[in-house]
Amino acid sequence: MADIATRQAQTATARTAAAIAGMLVLAALVLRVLDPGRVDWVRTFFVIFGSLLIQALPFVMLGALAAALVEVFVPIGTLEKLGRLPRPLQLPAAALAGLAFPICECGSVPVARRLMQRGLLPSAAVTFMLAAPVINPVVIASTFVAFRGRTSMWTVVGGRFVLGMLVAIAVGWVLGTRTTEELLKQNPEEAHEHLLELGRPEARWRRFFVHLGNDFLFMGRYLLLGATIAAAIQTFLPASMLSSLADLPVLSVVAMMALAAALSLCSESDAFVAASFAPFGVSAQLGFLVFGPMVDAKLLALYAGTFRRGFVRLVVITAAAATLVGALWIGVLFG
Amino acid sequence: MNDAVVTHRTARAVAEARPPRRWSPARVAGSAVLGAWAFLFWFLWLTGRDALYLSTRTDWVVPVAAVLFTLATLGRLASAPVSTPEPLRAREAWIMGLMVLPVVLVLAAPPTTLGTFSAGRRSGFGGTGFAASASEIGEGELTLVDVAAAQTTPEGERALAARAGEPVTFVGFVVRRDDTPADELLLTRYVVSCCAADATVAQVRVVNVTPGEFEPDDWVEVTGPIYPLGREVILDAQQVLEVDRPDRPYLTP
Repeated sequence: MADIATRQAQTATARTAAAIAGMLVLAALVLRVLDPGRVDWVRTFFVIFGSLLIQALPFVMLGALAAALVEVFVPIGTLEKLGRLPRPLQLPAAALAGLAFPICECGSVPVARRLMQRGLLPSAAVTFMLAAPVINPVVIASTFVAFRGRTSMWTVVGGRFVLGMLVAIAVGWVLGTRTTEELLKQNPEEAHEHLLELGRPEARWRRFFVHLGNDFLFMGRYLLLGATIAAAIQTFLPASMLSSLADLPVLSVVAMMALAAALSLCSESDAFVAASFAPFGVSAQLGFLVFGPMVDAKLLALYAGTFRRGFVRLVVITAAAATLVGALWIGVLFG
Repeated sequence: MNDAVVTHRTARAVAEARPPRRWSPARVAGSAVLGAWAFLFWFLWLTGRDALYLSTRTDWVVPVAAVLFTLATLGRLASAPVSTPEPLRAREAWIMGLMVLPVVLVLAAPPTTLGTFSAGRRSGFGGTGFAASASEIGEGELTLVDVAAAQTTPEGERALAARAGEPVTFVGFVVRRDDTPADELLLTRYVVSCCAADATVAQVRVVNVTPGEFEPDDWVEVTGPIYPLGREVILDAQQVLEVDRPDRPYLTP
């Protein structure tokens, strides 16, 4: 009884809706009357925060769309085919599947989550999730364009593709045989979906739109949090702070990886920013280009909301170590 | 009694036994969030305010998002009547409210762009690629992107140096540092590849400016000959006019 009473107390009422509407109206009035954009840092924060969301949310929606299509229309057998591959081939195959998925990192998270829920080997789904934003054709093309004319062009383009795949495979390999239940958090909205489906299965088109909306709403909130953090970092972090590290072999790579994580750029545009750090060598630029699309402020918020505790730590440590070692080796061999 | 009649009666009996559909608060609230974002994307597209956030290369996402979010809103709304409405928890409702807050922020706040504050915090433009090659810098009309791109390679520097003394007209905003002399300003423009978050700085030093005439963040059009000096480019102002902020404040390489 007490449990039911607590649940009823936690249920949104008309008063909750009125309070939320009031908050939004008050926010609009404050913005209109006080115009906080007159303060330089507030204006910078607003522009960067707005641009991150306006650019990234459509890709989250595209990812949610692809995830809903996978959930509702792709037969489970299709995904099981990948599971029948010899184990040493599963992770490379999952990484290469990223070639066919030309959207950036925000979109690949809901797809990977849905693939895991549909029975794909979790390590393969995570490998796909990490590889797709680095090796997809749009990203490789933008990297080529950003570094065109430089002597390091092919090293950076080829290095990004190969190292991106290797790092994604390394993370998948470290995940090993962990199950979906061990990795994924439950979305409370989906619990309701299943209850409903126990009663009477909904029509496919209804399920499609419910999954689409739920995936977007679930991912969108974490993107919002990540964009807030990334915009704050971008507003106050001076790029010149890093320039003194450019000549230090290992520290320069670590610094560029940290910068990539802090800036939270879209993988389709980060090559232009990496190219602007001309004093940094090939290894440091590769560190930026490979690590950033796998681990950044907005992605960490998405991962924390999607996966269970421990996953984020594992991805950050493995991806950082593999990227650092790989980028240094590429620098030694081809730099 | 034939089979068709039995089937028809059974279906009707099942339909009558089903509880009536009611609006699911969770799905309606989700539709409201999606609808708010759909409205924002239509607004940005129709008013051209997407130019304050995105480059010409990525602004296609705005109409695509407007259509996708609209379809998602309508689809979710159409699937909102259910026989067993899911409850909407208060916490979930507040999170959805927070997801609408950025929409309010963009719609209610006066349109603005990156300015002087972030110019000192961002790296210089180092783009090659879409920016002009050395041969392109060597001929034709010079743009601020060409000048900035020329400063990143020795070939570009040489090509630009060959054009010393040629008149140019550049539009940008005024940046002054603590050590900028009173009769000089830094004419600045952001170069954006995808969105304002990846903005880099393109900048030339303008000399022979009337002291005190322009404030930081004023938009001006400067005409005069350019003189590349190594990695720095000096623009000798013959005319400086205050202008409105361009519709597209960021350059795309």
